[in-house]
Amino acid sequence: MSIKREVVEKALSKPAVYGPDIDISKYKVEEPAIGELSEDKLDEPVAKAVERVSFSSKSLGYLQVNETALYKVLEKQLSRFGARIMPLKIALEKYDIAHKFSWKIIRPDTDKYTAAAYLYGGEIGYFIYIPPKTKVPIPIYSCLAITGNKKIQFAHNIVYVDEGSEAHVVTGCAVPHGVSEGLHIGISEFYIARNAKLTFTMIHAWAEGLHVRPRTSVIVEEGGEYVSYYVIYSPIASIQTFPIAYLSRRGKAYLATITAASGKGIYDLGSKTILENRNSSSEIISRVVARDKAKVYSRADIEAHEGDTRGHIECLGLLLSNEAMVSSIPVITSKKPGALLSHEAAIGMIAEKELEYLMSKGFTEDEARSVLIRGFMNVDAPGIPLAVRREIDRILDLVTKYAVG
Amino acid sequence: MLLRIENLRAGINGKEIIREVNLEIGEKELHIIMGPNGSGKSTLLAAIMGLPRVKIYGGRIFFNGIDITDKPSHERAKLGIALAHQNPPEIKGVKFKDIAISILKKHGCSDCVPLAKILDVDQLLDRDLFVGFSGGEKKRAELYLVFLQAPKLAMLDEPDSGVDVESIENIARAIEFMRRRGTSIILVTHTGMIANKLSNIDRVHILINGKVTYSGYPDEVLPIIMKLGYRKGLEVLKKR
Repeated sequence: MSIKREVVEKALSKPAVYGPDIDISKYKVEEPAIGELSEDKLDEPVAKAVERVSFSSKSLGYLQVNETALYKVLEKQLSRFGARIMPLKIALEKYDIAHKFSWKIIRPDTDKYTAAAYLYGGEIGYFIYIPPKTKVPIPIYSCLAITGNKKIQFAHNIVYVDEGSEAHVVTGCAVPHGVSEGLHIGISEFYIARNAKLTFTMIHAWAEGLHVRPRTSVIVEEGGEYVSYYVIYSPIASIQTFPIAYLSRRGKAYLATITAASGKGIYDLGSKTILENRNSSSEIISRVVARDKAKVYSRADIEAHEGDTRGHIECLGLLLSNEAMVSSIPVITSKKPGALLSHEAAIGMIAEKELEYLMSKGFTEDEARSVLIRGFMNVDAPGIPLAVRREIDRILDLVTKYAVG
Repeated sequence: MLLRIENLRAGINGKEIIREVNLEIGEKELHIIMGPNGSGKSTLLAAIMGLPRVKIYGGRIFFNGIDITDKPSHERAKLGIALAHQNPPEIKGVKFKDIAISILKKHGCSDCVPLAKILDVDQLLDRDLFVGFSGGEKKRAELYLVFLQAPKLAMLDEPDSGVDVESIENIARAIEFMRRRGTSIILVTHTGMIANKLSNIDRVHILINGKVTYSGYPDEVLPIIMKLGYRKGLEVLKKR
């Protein structure tokens, strides 16, 4: 795909298909920079942001504060496995492989956000490479934080998991308390080679005035597997994302999105999988809890281009206030006979019978609500390592606290 | 007296189901409440437990001398009342183990290990609460949670309905275990099947149309009711 700059420039005025349109010119773009990450010297606002996604600064492999990329802490540990983590800008200077995959599955002219990231982003973001037949046992943590008001943060991330390898990437996006306005645009291109596996856990902890526009595409080659666990639990001005995974023969994808929506935010979240070859399969799961005046659009889309494919969508929503709204939009499309696609969607309230039951066991009404909401969001993502699972459990406890209010 | 119910009237959705019930349960006693379908047995237990869907229209409930008529169910649980529901709800995403641990933390039952063995619930602990449990598994799991509450009064709503013979044996053994622990028990049964497996039953009450129409000793009441059914059995009992 050759990219013509004038085409991308034209796309700067092109709104996204979904989500409220944002005037990017209102936000300040900083000069991209790269520095060394020192675990002991995190500035207080950055440390606070990292804390909000419940990461330890000691385990961070990559930290991006506004437009400055900091790395190195994890580099040594990863190099033991032959794996690499670095800012994409450096990877593009050093490695052909980074070039090979940059802007290949996300077109820069997709919308104004991709265009702005392409033109002004300076290729700040992380590049992770896992060589063939390598299982990296430690989760690779990264954190993207905005620490000042009215700033725009671009991140362009590329993850390449080579043949027969396995990696677990955990990314947190956050602002410390006190940041009230900002725009985050994240471009993520993930490549999962033959028989490789990537689990990707994303945790968003933003604030009421933040707009967030992640753009993600994933290629899963023959026998590969992609597991995504996407959590957002904070108030927000708006978030709109719709990652797409393309699955080759025997490719598998499992995408779970957990949303605890609050405030007046607009949460437009979802996933799409394209079953391109035989014996590929995908499952899209979403759990939404909405309170206050939050509006949630929960999208899920599976498209089968071949027979002998399977796909399932499960979208469940829980309304906790009279003014919140949840809209569930599952779509299944089959273009060949022999594809087995299904979906189920339900939106409801907390079941009185369950509440009553737990109260009879000695739980107060608030405790019982928490137990039920926590249970509602409990999605068993397959293949998530125990360390990450614990992380997710901790986050879900936090999410429950937010959801209950 | 552990539990004293005076002229209790209660119902659901404005319909009176329990009509002027009077009942007294002493410490360490085992009482059986029997009655045909729809006679109000479950509603009576729900009223004693304080479940929100049951409204009290009149009368008082005293537990250990405290008037609990207006107390919410979690406070009654804290005081030592527990209810084994007839049909506990399936709760997706909530692990049986997690609820058991939470209850243990609240009430601190010390003998949960032998109980888990008696009720054969070990293999259920990692599953979602009651989701896909068989009839017997549901009853045993629910009973286990009640026992973990270490209650002073356990109310068991038809623990013998829809379960196999083996499960009934387990449940009866667990009830005997509880009694040795000093727990008073109100056991509601429709068929009376489990009554044959329990020793030292103090009283049997027959509830018809929301009223206790007969109270007597088990040797006197059970054989007649089991043989003749409620309508004819009561006629015979009352003639005596």
